[in-house]
Amino acid sequence: MRSRLVVLALLGLAAPCARAQAPAKPPAAINGCVDCHLALDDPRISPPAKLFADDVHAKAGFTCVFCHGGDARQEYQEDAHDPKKGFIGKPKPQQIPELCGKCHSDAALMKQYDPSQRVDQLTEYRTSGHGKALAKGDTTVAECASCHGAHGIQPVKDSRSPVSATKVAETCNHCHGNAALMAAHELPSDPYEKWSRSVHYRARVEKADLSAPTCNSCHGNHGAAPPQVGSVVNVCGTCHVTFADQFKLSPHWEPFKDMGLPGCVTCHENHEIVKPSEAFLAEGEQSKCSSCHEAGSAGARAAAEMRADLVGLDGEIRRAERLVDRAEEAGMEVSKVRFDLVAASNALTRARSEVHLFRPSAMHGAVAEGLAVARKAAAGGEARLKERDFRQRGLFVSLGLILLSIVALVVVIRERDRRSSPHPED
Amino acid sequence: MPEPSEAREGRLRAWARDRLGWDELAHMAAKKRVPVHRYTLFYYLGGMALFLFLVQVATGILLLLYYRPSAAEAFESVQYVMADVPFGWLMRSIHSWGANLFVAVVFAHLISVFFLKAYRAPREVTWVTGAILLFLALGFGFSGYLLPWNTLAFFATKVGTDVPAQIPGIGHLLSRILRGGSDVTGATLSRFYGIHVAILPAITTLMLGAHLLLVQRHGMSVPRSVEGKTRRSIPFVPDFLMRDMVGWLAAVGILAALAAFFPWELGVKADPFASAPAGIRPEWYFLWMFQGLKYLPSKIFGIPGETLGVLFFGALGAALVAVPWLDRRGRRGIAVAAVAVLTAAAILTVLALLPVPGAEKP
Amino acid sequence: MSSAVGSQSSGAATRRTWLSWLLGTSLGLTLFSFLYPVLKYLVPPESSEPSLSEFELDLKAADVAPASGRIVPVGGKPVLLLKNAAGELSALTATCTHLDCTVQYRADRSDIWCACHNGTYDLKGRNVSGPPPRPLTPLEVYVRGEKIVIKRA
Repeated sequence: MRSRLVVLALLGLAAPCARAQAPAKPPAAINGCVDCHLALDDPRISPPAKLFADDVHAKAGFTCVFCHGGDARQEYQEDAHDPKKGFIGKPKPQQIPELCGKCHSDAALMKQYDPSQRVDQLTEYRTSGHGKALAKGDTTVAECASCHGAHGIQPVKDSRSPVSATKVAETCNHCHGNAALMAAHELPSDPYEKWSRSVHYRARVEKADLSAPTCNSCHGNHGAAPPQVGSVVNVCGTCHVTFADQFKLSPHWEPFKDMGLPGCVTCHENHEIVKPSEAFLAEGEQSKCSSCHEAGSAGARAAAEMRADLVGLDGEIRRAERLVDRAEEAGMEVSKVRFDLVAASNALTRARSEVHLFRPSAMHGAVAEGLAVARKAAAGGEARLKERDFRQRGLFVSLGLILLSIVALVVVIRERDRRSSPHPED
Repeated sequence: MPEPSEAREGRLRAWARDRLGWDELAHMAAKKRVPVHRYTLFYYLGGMALFLFLVQVATGILLLLYYRPSAAEAFESVQYVMADVPFGWLMRSIHSWGANLFVAVVFAHLISVFFLKAYRAPREVTWVTGAILLFLALGFGFSGYLLPWNTLAFFATKVGTDVPAQIPGIGHLLSRILRGGSDVTGATLSRFYGIHVAILPAITTLMLGAHLLLVQRHGMSVPRSVEGKTRRSIPFVPDFLMRDMVGWLAAVGILAALAAFFPWELGVKADPFASAPAGIRPEWYFLWMFQGLKYLPSKIFGIPGETLGVLFFGALGAALVAVPWLDRRGRRGIAVAAVAVLTAAAILTVLALLPVPGAEKP
Repeated sequence: MSSAVGSQSSGAATRRTWLSWLLGTSLGLTLFSFLYPVLKYLVPPESSEPSLSEFELDLKAADVAPASGRIVPVGGKPVLLLKNAAGELSALTATCTHLDCTVQYRADRSDIWCACHNGTYDLKGRNVSGPPPRPLTPLEVYVRGEKIVIKRA
């Protein structure tokens, strides 16, 4: 019985797509499915019909029968839902990837509707964690409809789509934030929560910088799987090129590979990537080095030296900035000095990135340059503050003279008054 | 003049007297006396306004030496004056603070003259020249404000030159003439510069000359309430002048202190294509008009509210000029009306200064 | 201030002379303290031009090699000065439109690169790849005599 239905289902699948091979002219107004399903005001039956009106496939001319089979021209359910006409009803999770893939993996077909759209989603899906589990019979994992929706499907670029740039992380989180579901798959259920505390989340959501990564940026879309330990550097390195190159030149590269440590994630975490600070190099709670390098070892000493360099330069820059700010508040003109400070900040950024070479001597160049510039800027700020002091001193001198003049005037006025009238009063 | 003049001094005086008519002036000055009574203090305000005007002229001329009146260079030239020119910061800040002090003192002078009813016959024309001088002072303030060509000035001028456009009939033409075009551009800057350093000073010289001559002609007005009770008077030269000087020196001291501790802001160079930042508003002496116009409904009896507002301001201005005739019989009515107008203006000014939610500091 | 019976004694005269002297001197000094800044103001400073919308670089056109680029300060902001193989000068603002790092010219690839997050621009400043959302702003460059002059946008 089951196998017959499967055969029929497969035949049913063949039918609508066979029709779809023809040049796309929508078979006009006959979509009897929608008419019936809309009229029957049952929450199990009408929502798909309502949603489908807005679906990108509907707008391209595809109707219900293209995926579900059956006959749209029939009035009665038994005829419309006839398995002999290819009707498969609600597809099972295992059927969905191939159902969608029938069209979306067909390059010639897709070129008629969206030439730049990829046609390898199904291939990718089969390599993903979801795809592999589904193939083994696990129906609790994501398939196409889980993320893209079933009936109100929008293009990915449309902000209404659950996998649009601003919504995709929440969509992943529907399942990957569900503790019970994740426990069943031996996966953590906090990646979204952790990511929401990261700098990438802040950039993406709060500053609307869509170049910052979300789930699919690192894990892939259809081939979603965590990057392997050895490929973490490459994945992070797609954006953070400089750091990746430096890391590969550093003394950490080979040992990390040998020990099977996950590259960047070893120190920076995978989801909760926070803003790094010099505390990473220190010995306290936030230390990243002390888990491998014992106190007093060469590695620990190198970390301390790098930290001292960075903290020193940062301190010089802040000192200069404070001086310049004070000078500016006092009304002095500081734009030239601020430009120099920008160069110092650039040097600090370079030095910070050179930490990834994990050799103190490599940083010295940038640090020295930054220090020189910061000191020059601080001198500029001080000079302007001195000018401000000069002005205030000059002001007090003038005010003193003015006061003296006023006193002299008042005395002379009183003297004249006294002389001109015998009474002391006005 | 108790001291005996030396022989040489006497010859110099004779030379000057014969050629310059020195003696007549000295005679007039010696004769001028200032009555002393309860309200004498208010007599100082006129001289203070004149002094502050001269401070503005002096600092303004100095600024002229470095300022460049084009949209490309104006801001940078002011920046140059503030940063590089020796004591440039002092001259510019005194000029900017001084403008505000000047307008405030002019208002104080006007108000005291009004309430002391010094405009009574025969001083009506003096009052009229004074009212015109007030309008000229406001014109100086408005035209000068644009000259640094920063964001605040640019947008405040945009808003300010929209107001005359509301006058029915000639409004748009007037606005075009003011702006040197249909929008505020570099052409507006050139025009305001010409108005600020040439046109207004020329008219002011005439008006001020007339005003001072008339004051000399009629002498100091004595309020009715102390008329007759006043017997004491002090000579203008040197006694009243010395008292004047105390005030003038104090004013200079205040301006210098303001320049040193609260230098006038440079701001950011105007970008005509940027959107107006929130919290744009004109200088304090225009705030009452600015705020008042905001509260008017968009249409009153089918006429745009703003037009009625502008016409109302025009009527106020005309009433101001006509005060001596409106108050022919010296009744209390006009004082009450004036108090009402001043109170309303004060309330509007305070309302305009309240922080706008979400606005940056301009 | 009790009035001495107005005796025109020499004591009173000396007092008056002294007072006049005090008044004259203090007013004179005050006047000098006003005139001193004015006189200093009239003397133009060393840098006799305000930094206008035009900015003359401390750099001769001949000193810039063809097919090269360098960062120069213009009015307090970094600017990338480029010279192509044909010897034509061009300039772009050098502040990356992503997160404000200073970009650099890459001779080997003839493009402009931001080291912070791998943003790339072409030589006209158009953002080509990576995070930068907007292009760099081009600035007018020309040569006056020997010196290079950059016009602020």
